[in-house]
Amino acid sequence: MTVTPAVEEEEKKEEEEKPKEKFEFSFDYFNESRLGLFALIVGAIIAVASFFPPLPAFVKGIGAMLVIVWGADSVRKTARYGLGTGVPSIGVLAVGFGLAGAITGMAIGSEIYHYFGIIGILGILAGVAFMAVVGYVSGVLANNEKFIGMKIPGLERGMAELAMAGTLAITLESSIVAGTWYSAAIMSPIKGYDVTPAAFFAVIFILSGFGMLQPYNSCLGADERRGRTLLMAIEIGGINCIILGAVATMSLGAVQGVPLIVLGAIVWVVYYRAYMKACMAEAYGTPGTGLIKTLGG
Amino acid sequence: MEPIILAIILVCIIIGGMLGSLGVHLLPVGGAPAAMATATGIATGCVMLMTGSAVTGLFTASTVAAFWESNPSVLLVSLSGGVGAMLMMGFTMLIANLIYIFGAGVVPVSGRAAVDPITKESQTEYKTPRTDGHGVPNVCFYSGMIGGLAGGFGGALIYVVLESDVYANFPVAIAAVVALGIFIANAIMAAYNIGGTIEGFHDPKFKERIVTGLTCAFVISLMCGIIVVIAIETGVLEAVGGVL
Amino acid sequence: MPVISLFAWLLVIVFLAFIACMFEDLESDVGSQSNPNSQVQLAPEMGYIHRYYNKAISGEGLSYALACTIAGTIALLLLLKFEPTYGPRAAILAIPVGAAVGSISHMIRASVCYPGRESAHKRFEQPIYLDVFYGHLVPIATHNFIAVICITGIAYIQSNLTVLSGVSGASNPFPLPLLCLIWGITVGAIGSSTGDIHYGTEREFQDRPFGEGRRVVYHGQICRYGDCGIRTSKDIVAFCAKYGGPATGLTFGLIVLFENWRTVIGMMLGGLAGAAWNPGIAAVSGIGLGIAVAIVLIVLNTWLVRWARKKFGPFVGE
Repeated sequence: MTVTPAVEEEEKKEEEEKPKEKFEFSFDYFNESRLGLFALIVGAIIAVASFFPPLPAFVKGIGAMLVIVWGADSVRKTARYGLGTGVPSIGVLAVGFGLAGAITGMAIGSEIYHYFGIIGILGILAGVAFMAVVGYVSGVLANNEKFIGMKIPGLERGMAELAMAGTLAITLESSIVAGTWYSAAIMSPIKGYDVTPAAFFAVIFILSGFGMLQPYNSCLGADERRGRTLLMAIEIGGINCIILGAVATMSLGAVQGVPLIVLGAIVWVVYYRAYMKACMAEAYGTPGTGLIKTLGG
Repeated sequence: MEPIILAIILVCIIIGGMLGSLGVHLLPVGGAPAAMATATGIATGCVMLMTGSAVTGLFTASTVAAFWESNPSVLLVSLSGGVGAMLMMGFTMLIANLIYIFGAGVVPVSGRAAVDPITKESQTEYKTPRTDGHGVPNVCFYSGMIGGLAGGFGGALIYVVLESDVYANFPVAIAAVVALGIFIANAIMAAYNIGGTIEGFHDPKFKERIVTGLTCAFVISLMCGIIVVIAIETGVLEAVGGVL
Repeated sequence: MPVISLFAWLLVIVFLAFIACMFEDLESDVGSQSNPNSQVQLAPEMGYIHRYYNKAISGEGLSYALACTIAGTIALLLLLKFEPTYGPRAAILAIPVGAAVGSISHMIRASVCYPGRESAHKRFEQPIYLDVFYGHLVPIATHNFIAVICITGIAYIQSNLTVLSGVSGASNPFPLPLLCLIWGITVGAIGSSTGDIHYGTEREFQDRPFGEGRRVVYHGQICRYGDCGIRTSKDIVAFCAKYGGPATGLTFGLIVLFENWRTVIGMMLGGLAGAAWNPGIAAVSGIGLGIAVAIVLIVLNTWLVRWARKKFGPFVGE
């Protein structure tokens, strides 16, 4: 077999240099700080606004996708130094904190709303703020020499960001399912069925966790590139939107659910294609078949 | 809600989190090297193993908690969860040993102790050179059973105080996911503390790290507990009754 | 005879659990996943260019939690939609459709891993083999489907046990997606902690001496040759299906059997929801039975390890 002689390889490499530029989605403007700030602000605004049931679910879906991309970026930032227990652990930590934070945020926001009216909906951000503190303190515990001593640069900030991203993601996705994060809506049965939106917390938990932990885990390697990893994060956000859209179609009706499914499908197709093309273009080679080259064939 | 009940909930969450952390430290976890019989212990990460056994316990605990129409016995429900997690660990380690012995032909042997501290069997001459032990020897098995019991007890304890109508009175679905969230956060911090592999209570690493691990678990459970207690205090999350 | 039917349903659950965990382990071998995958990831860095499928979605526990929870969610949606009209027959449609959605989602996630990880190995000259890429997707989806449909079935039975068996109070109070999450995490944790040993220790290093731990110097130097030609991940399934897979299935089956068995016996001793129902006795007897089983396990393991030490003897060789 003459699959990859040296000359052909050289030619292939040169050919691949050009399409590489084309497929390289630029996340240069959105460096780690800008992406985080942007996602935090937009996510927080959408989270506050999702108190109002008429807010279309696809707006919340966009917010959730942004927050998940931010979380994936934070996972990449912290996990690249090696955690000792695999990449996924830190993504699960984010949603584990996020669950406690989101439920507290919903409770506080609803309670202030009962007493002080519409200004109370800002209370949802209390959960985010609490979780930022919890995340930061866990980062200090994990990084400090006196405690665990992991010595990962920026772990404190990373964990705080992850806890915030997890809280926002779970808040947004719960409000997609229930129409709002108002606790009475979360706790009372969906109209016409004997099941509450709280029954779907399990799927919300695992979907948001995967949006954050899978991209870096699946792209890990010496030649990992941030742009490619984030493309996958957006693609997974699309899958999440499709599944949550199906749930929303049941709980809120087709007017809310179907646009979310369409949005998810479009995002998924576009970014899956872009990601695959980027991978194929940047790989060492993409032979249709062939033996491994050390066998001399 | 009365402050004394809130205090009990907070204390139970802290105890549950610390027991979860203790459980992770007791499990014989070999991580990826154990899958190649290069390290002693079970061939998976501690977070997944602990969570897997704790949720098995949580399943039984939820069934047992439903025995009582109201006010389930906290101790009995938590013990059911602990025993469930212990059984899960026991079967997993036993069959892992079957595969080590009959599938790969290695003798279970500890890499960190020269002599098994409980059965007094010597270990060193059975060990393959340039490995860190392999399989799940007896002392690790005992340690893993205790670890499963501690972790399962902790997870079920958090669940039952959140679910019980005398305490937080959350709906079961919310109580379970919040308990899972707090438990996983503690298990992951413990996993970072032991840094991948540990053999159990006879491992020198255990004595070295356990204080740090429990301190971290205390701080994290305290913070998560305070946040959950604030959520309970608002009173908007109480179960309406009769609905899933 | 409600109690008999309760035990019958229990045995159905155990059977499903056996199948689920066996196929879970085999699926993780089709596209190399979880702990042994660290060697597949390391191999190109050691100069061992290979044709394994590098399926690094996440640990098995989480990836199965995901597939099963999605399946449970879709199944719950369909059940809510059709149960008012068709009654329990709606499950015949809901469970397979839910499992199909879950396994398709799993396959999509698996499909992004191989290009992602291998394109990150560019400097070690590891190409993306397109036949490996396309050829493994359908086996991944089919193996996953069987595992997920069994887990969804278990969750459905457990959350409707009162109706199915006629014993009041036998149902689990958790909603279907949460039960799927619980069993998904457990099935993955067991699959990665027992089944992986046969794949990681034996099959991945089959060209190394049998009967010793794999030394640190071997790491990354995986066996890349098949019975004829070059090994792909599909060849591993046939090997692991002979020992690692069934043993893994046995683990989960036994766990589910004894977990439910001790609860049901406890319920019977507690008076079975009649006038004499005493929840305290039910719980205590369940705990007691569990501890008895645990002691049997400890004795079995002690005996097994002692047998192996006597039979195999101390390490001989270099």
